[in-house]
Amino acid sequence: MKAAALLLAGSMALAACASDESDSGSGGGSGSGGNDELMIGLAFDTGGRGDKSFNDSAYAGVEAAVEELGLSMEDNVQTLSPNDDASNRGELLTQLAEQGYDPVIAVGFNYDEIIADVSQDFPDVTFAQVDGSNADGAKGDNVTGLLFAEEQGSFLAGVAAASKTETDNIGFVGGVQSPLIEKFQAGFEAGARAVNPDITIQSQYLSPAGDFSGFGAPDRGYSVAQGFYQNGADIVFHAAGGSGEGVFQAAVEANKRAIGVDSDQWQTASPEQQAVIMTSMIKRVDNAVMESILSVANDEAEGGTDVVYDLESDGVGLSTSGGYIDDIADVVEDYRQQIVDGSITVPTTP
Amino acid sequence: MVVILNRAVPLFLAGLAVSVAFRMGLSNSGVEGQYRLATILSAAAGAAVALPAPLHVLLIIVVAMLVGAFWAGIVAVLKVTRGVSEVISSIMLNFIALGLASFLLTGPLRGSEPGASIITTADIPESGWFPGLNGVFGALGLAEPRSELYGFLLVAAVAGIVIAVLVKRTRFGFDLRATGMSPSAATASGVDARGMVIKTMLISGAVAGLIGLPDLLGSSHHYGTEFTTGLGFLGIAVALLGRNSPVGIALGALLFGFLDRAAIPLQFEGIPASVVTIIQGTIVLAVVVANEIARRITRRQAERGGVQSAPPTSGDGSTDGGQGPGGPPPDPGAAVGTGTGPGVRSGAADGTRGGQQ
Amino acid sequence: MTESAPLAVELRGITKRFPGVVANSDIQLRVHRGEVHAIVGENGAGKSTLMKTLYGMHRPDEGEILVDGRPVSFRSPADAIEAGIGMVHQHFMLADNFTVLENVVLGSEPTRGGRLDRAEARRRIREISDAYALGLDPDTLVEELGVGDRQRVEIAKVLYRGARTLILDEPTAVLVPQEVDELFGNLAELKREGLTVIFISHKLDEVRKVADSITVIRRGTTVGTADPATTTAKQLAELMVGAELPVAQKRDSTVRETAVLQLREVSVAAPGGRPAVDDVSLTVREGEVVGIAGVEGNGQAELVDAIMGLRPLSSGTVLLGADDITAWSTRHRREQGLGFIPEDRHRQGMLLEAPLWENRILGHQTRPPAVKGAFIDRKGARADTARIMREYDVRAPGPDTAAMALSGGNQQKLIVGREMSARPRLLIAAHPTRGVDVGAQSVIWELLKDARAEGMGIVLVSADLDELIGLSDTLHVMLRGRLVATLDPARLTPEELGTHMTGAASTAGAA
Repeated sequence: MKAAALLLAGSMALAACASDESDSGSGGGSGSGGNDELMIGLAFDTGGRGDKSFNDSAYAGVEAAVEELGLSMEDNVQTLSPNDDASNRGELLTQLAEQGYDPVIAVGFNYDEIIADVSQDFPDVTFAQVDGSNADGAKGDNVTGLLFAEEQGSFLAGVAAASKTETDNIGFVGGVQSPLIEKFQAGFEAGARAVNPDITIQSQYLSPAGDFSGFGAPDRGYSVAQGFYQNGADIVFHAAGGSGEGVFQAAVEANKRAIGVDSDQWQTASPEQQAVIMTSMIKRVDNAVMESILSVANDEAEGGTDVVYDLESDGVGLSTSGGYIDDIADVVEDYRQQIVDGSITVPTTP
Repeated sequence: MVVILNRAVPLFLAGLAVSVAFRMGLSNSGVEGQYRLATILSAAAGAAVALPAPLHVLLIIVVAMLVGAFWAGIVAVLKVTRGVSEVISSIMLNFIALGLASFLLTGPLRGSEPGASIITTADIPESGWFPGLNGVFGALGLAEPRSELYGFLLVAAVAGIVIAVLVKRTRFGFDLRATGMSPSAATASGVDARGMVIKTMLISGAVAGLIGLPDLLGSSHHYGTEFTTGLGFLGIAVALLGRNSPVGIALGALLFGFLDRAAIPLQFEGIPASVVTIIQGTIVLAVVVANEIARRITRRQAERGGVQSAPPTSGDGSTDGGQGPGGPPPDPGAAVGTGTGPGVRSGAADGTRGGQQ
Repeated sequence: MTESAPLAVELRGITKRFPGVVANSDIQLRVHRGEVHAIVGENGAGKSTLMKTLYGMHRPDEGEILVDGRPVSFRSPADAIEAGIGMVHQHFMLADNFTVLENVVLGSEPTRGGRLDRAEARRRIREISDAYALGLDPDTLVEELGVGDRQRVEIAKVLYRGARTLILDEPTAVLVPQEVDELFGNLAELKREGLTVIFISHKLDEVRKVADSITVIRRGTTVGTADPATTTAKQLAELMVGAELPVAQKRDSTVRETAVLQLREVSVAAPGGRPAVDDVSLTVREGEVVGIAGVEGNGQAELVDAIMGLRPLSSGTVLLGADDITAWSTRHRREQGLGFIPEDRHRQGMLLEAPLWENRILGHQTRPPAVKGAFIDRKGARADTARIMREYDVRAPGPDTAAMALSGGNQQKLIVGREMSARPRLLIAAHPTRGVDVGAQSVIWELLKDARAEGMGIVLVSADLDELIGLSDTLHVMLRGRLVATLDPARLTPEELGTHMTGAASTAGAA
C-alpha cells in the first residue's frame, strides 16, 4: 500500500514539475519570440505526428513556411497532439493561444465546434482549420477554413482507375463513414462512371460514423481490400488514413493495383508497394498550411472565410510518381480541364 | 484546475460503475457500450422534449440510467440463465452498442445538417442543460476560470456517496461484498446469487449511464461523432487504482484527469503525449501489483500472528484490539484522501524519488 | 532424562513474537533419536508456530535449535531439509493429475542429461516404499488414491529428500479409524529404521497409543512432559487445558412430541447418474438430536445442502414445523428458524477477510441485532459480536479482527455462537467439532446439549463416532445416499457403528 502511494505520489510529482517547467519555459519562449517573430502553433488531429497522412502533411507545410520565412522550427513552432480519446482538443487550442502562438492551426474537421468557441476567447489570434469550413463566418472573423475539393481529385482518381482497369471492376475503401470521406467516394465513383458507365464499383467503410478506428486499422483495410480483389477488382482506391497500409499490402499479395491518398504515397512506400501504387490523390494540406502561415506573416490573412483548394489551384490532383498513368495523362488532363471549366460538376455525396 | 475536474468527473463515474461490479467479483467490461448507448439515447430524449429546467435534466438523467442499466442487464441475464461469462458478453455487447449508436446517429437520431462534417444528434434545449459551477469561484473570491466547471460534479458526488453507503452500510451492500469475498459462504448465508448478479449489474449499468452526461449536459449538449470515447475502459483502470473505494476512485480519477491534462504542458517541453499513457499504465500496474503484495503480507501476518495464541478476551471483549493483525485491507484511500489537496501535494513532494526510479 | 546419545532435536528457550502477540515463549523440547514424540496442545496453543520455527519457515526471536547436538539456524525450509528435517502438512500438497512418482520427485527431480530420470526415481521410491512398508505404486495417479495413500505419498516425499526427522502436523485429522491404524503401523516402521517422528495432535487417545514421549503445550509455552504409559488421557487433557473437562455424554432425554423437521422421500440428483441422496425420510422432534453417521461421501453433504435449500431436490418434500419449505429460498428458511453450522467453515461459514462483526452478520442479514431496516447496524453487530466472544469463549483481540486471524476452534465457536444467538428451531450441525481442539470441542458439545434441552431440534452430521453416539437421541446410518439403518445410540459401541457405516452389517439394526 505504501509503495503504491509513494509511486503514485512520485509520478504526480514528476508530472507536476514537468508542467511547472513548461510554464516557465514557454513563457520565455513567447517572450523571446515577442511580437516581431511569428510563433506558429499547430494542433494535430487524432493520430498526431507520424500518421503519414494529413497530420504529417500539415507539419510539412509548417516546415516549408518556416524555411520560407527564415524562422526556426525549434523556437517558432509548437505542435500539440490530442490525448487518446481526443477529449482535450479545446485545451490544445486554448493553450497555444494562451502561450502567445499566432497563428494557431488546427488539423481536422473534428475541431469544428471547438475552434468556434476558442476563437471567441482569443479575438486577436488568427486561427486556421484544415478541413473545416467557415464560409459563413460563424466560427468568427479570425478563423480561416482551409478546404479541399476532394471530390474533384477523387474524380480524376476514378477516371484513372476506370481507364486502367482490365476487369471493369474497381474498389473504394473509406476509413470512417463521414461526410468528408463520402466526398472522396462520390468523386471517385462519378469519375469512373464518366469513363465507363457500366463499371462495377465496390465501396466499403472500415468503421461507422463516430468510431474513428477506421483510420488506424491496417488489418481491416487489408481484409476489405483483399475481398475486393477476390471479387474481381483490380484497382482499389483508399481514403482511409493509416489503414491504407493494409490496402497496399493486399494489392501486393494479389498482384493488383491500388491508389493512395492525401500525399504522394509512392514516395514513402517500400519498393514492393511502389510496384502497385498506381497513383495517389494528392491533397496539398502542406501547401494550404504554408500559404495560410505566409498570409499571416504578410498581414494578408482575411479570416471569416474559406480558402478552397481545388483542381484549378492545384490544391488537389493526381501524382505521377512511378509513371503508371503517364499513358493516360491526356485523358486525365481532359477531364481536369472540364472540371476547371465548370462543364463537369462533381457531386459531393455518393 | 477546472479542466482536470471536468475530466475527472466522467472518469470517477466510470470507475464507480466498474467498482460496484468488482465488489461482487463481477467484471463489467461493458461500461463503454453502456455509456455510449445511454448518452445518445438520453441526448435524443432530451432534445425531443421541452420541460421546465429541473425536470428536463432529471428526465435525461433517468433515461441515461435506464438505458445503461438495461444494457448491463442483458449481460446479467445471459450470465444467470445461460452461464455466459460476463466479461465476454459485455465486450460483445460493446461492439453491438457502438454499432447501434452509429446507426442511430447517422439514421433516425441525426440532428445535424446533411453536409456537416461532424454528425450529431439534435441539440438539447437550454432547459435541459446542467448549470455550471463557476459561480462558486466568484463566491470564493477567486478568478473565474475560462472553462465552465461542470455542475454534474454534484451529481457525481451524490452518486459516489449513495454507492458508498449502499455498499458499506446496507444489507444489500453486505450481500454484495459477501458474494465478492466468498460466493459459497454468501450462498450458504442465504444470498440469492442470481438475483445479486442481476441487481449488481443493473446498478453498475445505471451508474455507467451517467458517464457521458457531464459532457452532454455541461458542454456539448448533443451526442456526436466527436463525443469522448474510451471512458469505459479508463474506468476499469480508475477502479483498480482506487481499489474499489469511492474515495479512492475519486482520487484515482483526479490523478488520471491531471495526468491527461498534463499532456499538453509536457508537449510544450517536447515530451510526447504518449508518455502520459505510459505513466497511467505504469501506475495502474504498480498499484495492482502493490495491492496484491500488500494483501498477501497482511494475510500472512494475520494467519501467523492470529492462529497461534490470540490473547483471550478475558471477559469484556472490548474493542481495544481494533487494529487486529489483519483487518481486511480497508480503504487506504480513506486514509490518504481525507484532505484531498494537501494530502496529494505533500505526497508529491516526498515521492519524487519513487517516481523517477 | 538426559542420555549420552545426542538428541535428535532440541529446542532451548524458543520465543517467537508476532505484532501484538507472543506466539511461543520459552519453549523447551527434547526429542530423542528413534522415538515418536508427540506434541499436544489445544488449537491455538502455539504448536504450529513451533513447528514452523523448527521447519525453518520463520526464525525465532530468542532461543536456539539443536539438531544432533549441534546448534543450527534455518533461514528457510530448504535449510531444514538439508539438516534432515521434513514436514508432512495437514493439508496435502499434491498435484492430483500427476503420478505418485512425479509428485514425490517434484522439486528434486533426478535428472540424466537434463531429463527426468524415471527409472532412477522409480527405483528409489520402490526402495523407500519397501523399507517403510508404505505400499506405494509409483505409477498410480494421485487422484485415484484415497486419503491414507495420499498421506503416505507425502511421507515418501519427505523421506525421498533424505529426512531423518519427520514432523507430522495433525496427521490423523483427515483419516478414518482404519487408516489411522495403518498410519501408526507406518510410524512403527519408521521408528524401527531409526527415524525420529514428531507427531502433532490433540487427539489424546491416539497420542497415547503411538507416542513414546509427550510434550504438552499450553498458551504458547511448554507446560510439561508426560510418559504415555503412565498417564491417562484425562490427565493429559487436563494438562492441556489446565482444567478438568467433560465428555460427550448425554443427559436425560428431552425429546418432545412436536416435529420440527420432516424429510419425506427426499432425493437429490447427482451428475454421475446414481442420486446423491436417495429417498430419505426422517423426522426431527423438538429437543431431539438426530445423528447422521456414515463414511464421508455417502450423501451427507448433499442431504445437508438439500435441507438448507442450497441444492434442488429431484423429488420429495421438506417440512419445517408445519410449513412445506421445499420451495423456499435459503434465506427464507434461515429467517424461519433454520440454523446452520457448515461442514467447511472456510468455504461456507465465514468471510475470512472480513472482521468478526461482519461475520456475525453473515447468514443473519435480515434480522436484528445485525441490521436496522435496510441498513447494517454496525454498532449493534459489534456489540453482539463482543457478547458472542464473551459468552462462547471466542479468543480474539476484538470484533474488528479479521476472521482469518483466528484459530479453527475460535472460528467455530464464533459460528456456533452466531447460529445459537438466532435461536433457531432446527440446527444443522455438520461436523461441528472437526479440526477443533479439546477445549472448544467440549464447549461446543455443551452448547448443543443446552440447546437440545431448550427444545431445539438438531441434525448432527459427523465422522466422530464418539460424538455421534454421545450426543444423538436417534442415529441414522447413511450409505450410498440411503438411510440404511436406524440405531439406538444408548446401546451402541463405536465398533458396531463402524460396521454399519461400511455396510457390512445387516440393516436389521435396533430401532
